[in-house]
Amino acid sequence: MREKPTAGRAANAVGATTPNGGAGSTPGGAGGPAVRTEGLWKIYPQEPRPVEAVRGVDLEVAAGEFVAMAGPSGSGKTTVLNLLGGLTRPSKGKVWIGGREISELPDRELAKVRLSRIGFVFQSYNLLPVLTAAENAEFTMLLQGVPARERRERVRRLFAEVGLEGLENRMPPKLSGGQQQRVAVARAVLAEPALVLADEPTANLDSSTAEALLDVMEKLNREKGTTFVFSTHDPRVMERAGRLIRLVDGRVEE
Amino acid sequence: MFRLPTLSWLALRNLGREMRRSALTAAAMAVGLALLILSRTIADGAHEDWIDAGVRLGAGHVTFNAPGYRDSESLDDRMSPAQVEASLAALAEAETPEPPLASVRVATRGLASSPDGAQPAFIIGVDAATETMFSKLNEDLADGRYLQDGDRLHAYLGEALAERLGLRTGSRMVLTAQAASGDIEGQLVRVAGTYRTGVEELDRMLIHIPLGTARTWLGVEGATAVAGLLPHSSFTDPVIEGVEAAASEAGVEVAGWPETQPDLYSALKLDDGGDWAFHIILFAIVALAILNAIFISVLHRKRELGLLRALGLSGRETGLVVYIEGILLTVASGIVGVALGFAVVFLFLRDGLDFSGLMPEDISFGGVTVDPVLVPVIEVKHVVQSVLMTFAIGLSAALYPAWHAARLDPAETVKVD
Repeated sequence: MREKPTAGRAANAVGATTPNGGAGSTPGGAGGPAVRTEGLWKIYPQEPRPVEAVRGVDLEVAAGEFVAMAGPSGSGKTTVLNLLGGLTRPSKGKVWIGGREISELPDRELAKVRLSRIGFVFQSYNLLPVLTAAENAEFTMLLQGVPARERRERVRRLFAEVGLEGLENRMPPKLSGGQQQRVAVARAVLAEPALVLADEPTANLDSSTAEALLDVMEKLNREKGTTFVFSTHDPRVMERAGRLIRLVDGRVEE
Repeated sequence: MFRLPTLSWLALRNLGREMRRSALTAAAMAVGLALLILSRTIADGAHEDWIDAGVRLGAGHVTFNAPGYRDSESLDDRMSPAQVEASLAALAEAETPEPPLASVRVATRGLASSPDGAQPAFIIGVDAATETMFSKLNEDLADGRYLQDGDRLHAYLGEALAERLGLRTGSRMVLTAQAASGDIEGQLVRVAGTYRTGVEELDRMLIHIPLGTARTWLGVEGATAVAGLLPHSSFTDPVIEGVEAAASEAGVEVAGWPETQPDLYSALKLDDGGDWAFHIILFAIVALAILNAIFISVLHRKRELGLLRALGLSGRETGLVVYIEGILLTVASGIVGVALGFAVVFLFLRDGLDFSGLMPEDISFGGVTVDPVLVPVIEVKHVVQSVLMTFAIGLSAALYPAWHAARLDPAETVKVD
């Protein structure tokens, strides 16, 4: 029997929230939410009418949660994840990562936030094709300046935990889809971010591989306390989430 | 900046993955640089040839004259024997790898007459032994012989002038010019031989006679010029700088070949300008090829570059990865290009490139005969200029792709399939 991930760790995590302070403040104080948004909008200027991809999303995810964001295609899941990760800037509203307001940070500062606090897993196994599996996994740590010995040790341990042992020197094209996605997850968590954002991480995987990947993510959430927010429209994946946020037409559905 | 090694390592890996594309891009630059080096060394070789031919038949690399002579060309502005000695001594002190060759000359404009008519002539009294090493006019012999030590009433003239005057070897003619006294004086001489340089102006004007004969005929004790031939034209300015004080003390002026032979200097500058225009066009094409190759590679790697942003690189750092790729390509191309360029140059160093099949005979430019066999000469300064030009082009060509990479929207690019 699989242990349910950290459901309910953050009661009332979805819905309208009120920030305790302005930009740079720490809503909720120390040990507060891993990520929080307030009145988040993303509008793409387009002819004949602008597209409102995200419309006033307020959400809060506590540290250590395992949250799924569900909704049909075009509901704004990916855009919300990109906004949470600072990959795109909101048209209106604010985003706090670990208490730091990031929506108006300059590019360099935003890059530092991504490097130090956020891990990404994308749908299409975004590994750097010129690096081996181990080099991909340790790349974020390399950018952080983690010493080589420590990087290698962390990779060795995690690869053993997630079933990638022996594949360290394989180049991405020589790995299966599931293996590539596990390397991506390893890369996302090895740098010990406050938050891992995963955009439909199981979408390109068969069901057994998807289950295995979710096992890995759950295990890391449970054992390392890593906060996961992932988008999905797969009911089986939703079942595994500790909490479910439903998005419809760019809004959080109550 | 601790990430620079990481970014460089990543850039190197990126180049390694697209080895064929990288090699082709680098090859375009390397071949461009090799061609540039070959072209520059050939141009330098040709220019040195032209200068050599020009100064030998003209006034040398450096010329000592009495003040005012270069403007008046009058015997009134001649050098005294003491000034000639001082000039020779100054030249002998010049710091060159081989000692300069000095030629004392008495020159005047006058008329050459025969029973068939009279022609304007430029008559130079020379030391025959020295002149066979200096002007080497003896090597252009068409008939008869050059002047020899002991000759007194002999002349060596251009074939074209001899034809106009109906003269042959052994014929007699009269040279007439204004002597130092101001009187018009005539001198009977016999044709020792004729030459053909291919430069029309010389062939129908220039006459060599023995220095002693010229001095006696014109009533000159000193000379009109002391011409100095240096091992290479590049020594001209340093030698002038070195002898200027002594020349000034002796009351003579010293000038370099660009001043005494302005036509030749202008012709070389014109040719240089043409070469640079050609090089700029060549490298503009190479730059576009490089820009295209790097830019296409950026477009192909949008998702990877977006991923780097997501993983924590700033836009500037992402652009820097692409720019470092450009730097590495440029450096590699520079090394290969220099090696290739020198290899090709060394192939032609001994025998040169023979363009005689493509050029008419006796072609002259800037007052000198152009040798159809072009032997490259390696001028370090110009090779360095070529390498720097390649670097500038390569680094400039990588700027736009790097800028484009820095501005990619990570949210859009990571979802590209």
